[in-house]
Amino acid sequence: MALRDLVTGAGGCVVPGEGASSSSNPLANFASSLLGSLPKAQERVRELPTIPTFQGPGQQLEYGSSSAASLPGTEFQNETQHSEFMRGFRDAEPAPYADAWNEATQRGEDLSRFSEFERIYGQKPGGNVQQLHYMDGPPQHALSGFLRSFFASSRTELPFHAVRLPELGLSGFDKQRIRDRSSIMARHFFADKGEEYVNAQVNAFLESLDIEDGVREVREPSNRAFSEMENYWGNTNHGKHEEWVQDFHQQYPQKNYWAEEFQSQHDADGWAAQFSEQQQSLPARHADFRNVSSLEQTQSLVDTLSKNEDPKFQNSKFLHFVSRMSRGELIVEDNQVKENAVPNAWAQEFTQVNHPGNWAAEFTAGEHANANSWADEFAQQEPGGAWAEEFSNRTQKWADEFQEQVDDGAFVSEDWQESYDKFVEEQLRGEQSRSASSKWTYVFADQNPYVGHPNPLKEGQELFRKGLLSEAVLALEAEVIKNPENAEGWRLLGITHAENDDDRQAIASMVRARDADPTNLEVLLALGVSHTNELEQPEALRYLRGWLQHHPKYGILVPQENAESLTQSDVARLFNEAAAMAPEDGDVHTVLGVLYNLSREYSNAIQSFETALKLKPRDYSLWNKLGATQANSARSSDAIYAYQEALNLKPNYVRAWSNMGIGYANQAQYQESIRYYVRALCMNPKADNAWQYLRMSLSATRTDLLDACDKRDLETLQAEFPL
Amino acid sequence: MAVSDGSKLRSAELMDQMAKHLETGAGEELKKKIGLVYQINVSPKKIGIDEESYVVDLKNAKVSKGPCKEKPDATFSFVDGDFMAVAMGKMNPQMAFIRGKMKIKGSMSAAQKFTPEIFPKPSKL
Repeated sequence: MALRDLVTGAGGCVVPGEGASSSSNPLANFASSLLGSLPKAQERVRELPTIPTFQGPGQQLEYGSSSAASLPGTEFQNETQHSEFMRGFRDAEPAPYADAWNEATQRGEDLSRFSEFERIYGQKPGGNVQQLHYMDGPPQHALSGFLRSFFASSRTELPFHAVRLPELGLSGFDKQRIRDRSSIMARHFFADKGEEYVNAQVNAFLESLDIEDGVREVREPSNRAFSEMENYWGNTNHGKHEEWVQDFHQQYPQKNYWAEEFQSQHDADGWAAQFSEQQQSLPARHADFRNVSSLEQTQSLVDTLSKNEDPKFQNSKFLHFVSRMSRGELIVEDNQVKENAVPNAWAQEFTQVNHPGNWAAEFTAGEHANANSWADEFAQQEPGGAWAEEFSNRTQKWADEFQEQVDDGAFVSEDWQESYDKFVEEQLRGEQSRSASSKWTYVFADQNPYVGHPNPLKEGQELFRKGLLSEAVLALEAEVIKNPENAEGWRLLGITHAENDDDRQAIASMVRARDADPTNLEVLLALGVSHTNELEQPEALRYLRGWLQHHPKYGILVPQENAESLTQSDVARLFNEAAAMAPEDGDVHTVLGVLYNLSREYSNAIQSFETALKLKPRDYSLWNKLGATQANSARSSDAIYAYQEALNLKPNYVRAWSNMGIGYANQAQYQESIRYYVRALCMNPKADNAWQYLRMSLSATRTDLLDACDKRDLETLQAEFPL
Repeated sequence: MAVSDGSKLRSAELMDQMAKHLETGAGEELKKKIGLVYQINVSPKKIGIDEESYVVDLKNAKVSKGPCKEKPDATFSFVDGDFMAVAMGKMNPQMAFIRGKMKIKGSMSAAQKFTPEIFPKPSKL
């Protein structure tokens, strides 16, 4: 067991990811065959790489070499299972091995040392005695040594020579895996040295291991039960990075081509190359991927994110996310992504070591974390798994020690981070503002059946009267396409949008209407209202003040100069004066009510609206305003009555339906609110606000319908909630 | 009203509404259902710069401005627009978190209870 630790310890760093499935680690296989059979599960756990700390081959080799003297995990050896062989190995004189290794792996470019290195691993088919002797140690040790030298060659930039190794008993499948993995590894190690060098190294490496290139078609003993999993793997269009992680952690038999696909997709300009280029930043995952389900959750989130077609966007999202992980701000734990204040110091240390094998590091970092959880899980499941617990404790201790060691070397590179943040921001802003460039640009519908209609304005007005708001929108759009300067067309369009509960389009239309006719009072009022709804206070104030200014009767009340600097209370005062001037004018009170809403003086606002309603009792929009004001001042139960009045006057008043829903939701009557939202949405499926509120109510009571909501499946929802 | 005086943030208005909302029966509901204290830091442009703190105290059903006197159960940090988006259901809190729009400190379980539903939605005039 200790031997296995040694082996997998070395093997883990060399060919990371192999530990994930039982058949993949050739070293462990060999070891287990030597040491007799053990519970399968334990075996699998043991195969997991144990090295939590990948500081680079140099230090790792130190670890490896010292292990000859003091094998880790000796504490939890199970004596009864150890064979003669093990004892023989342990009793082997460690000194020459250690010395040779120490010498060979001193950092620094002292050529003399490396000539010795080369001598030891010189390309001599027969090999010199020393070489053979060295390599004839216990096969695992030999292999691990061999693998280390492969590493060292990368660091020292020496061409790697093929070395004869004793028969390792690698199965065909093992060989294939080693080949693939090592080629990826090599590519990363030697990323800066060109393709041929990589191939040469890999070939030498493989030659030593006696792996032919032809070994391609070996299929692992795949488990049919995981066919779904395999199908998922076959689908190359999922977020590749997450696939990779999932693969590793789900511990199922893996297909090999994921490595190639991943490589082919991301090799050129993908994150791997990017990260290895940018030495400061580290994508190394400090995260503790404890739960598969948390990964799935992250996966679905990433999927949602990656729905944006723009590949740059995809990369940026991922990078952003990973960058956050790398900064150690995020840890995935217990089904939640968790903040972590501890910076990812060890990753920085790694950078300072200046090693390009980030990808490898990431794997081992992930593996370390996973080893923890895996060991825990199995410890729970296996009664005889005490050693597994200790094993996991050990890895944690090693990680902690390492962390302590490098804590002072911590340094987070902010610049790269910031520039990526900015990039992401821009992408998001582009995503959010549907109207890209200017603030309120109107968005026309795609297929408009009314274009070409002889008199779309009239048609639109008819439809509006009938209450078919969405249709009226189309007709009016046709009108303004025909006559872009038609103020009335734009105005009606704006009002229709507002009643359809789409303030953004309403504003866009009203702005155009105002351009066409700057003095139209209704337009100004509508603009004020919509801006108030969007919580854009200064603009709303400006429009409402404009209403007063352009009013034929009250315009004189507004002082000509410094009109811009009037505060909200000033304007309110002016409005009150106007009201005093003309008590029968309901409009003044309406605007005043909106103004009070701005300053959240709700009781005054309610008063104004009630006054206005006395003067204009059949104005459905006034009833809605009253209700909304009441709802916003937390008098939702009163608001319901007002909304009802509005709906009596205009049954297809989408906004009122939507507000009803809000009113009920605010009183925590979610079931009721759902009904009203659905009704509003039936009339206007494009009311985004309503969709969002519906979703919130659904998540409070009927989570089973969340899916339908996300898919905007009105039929299902309607069937569930008839009115 | 009181909470948002002098604030230029749109979120401040939402806080105001929340304050009123808590005074009604909904406040009692939330006291029973959640009963935790949250601190919400909202910044105009970038998280951490020029931030205004609000304490949404669901133990006493109150909203107040300024950092919390005792330790809050969880602390959130947002930019103005993002807080609005999350509170109004435009952005999923998990999405916000993943994107780095929302930062969380403190107890995760407390943070999980902080759903957008607890905020009242603005009704449209």
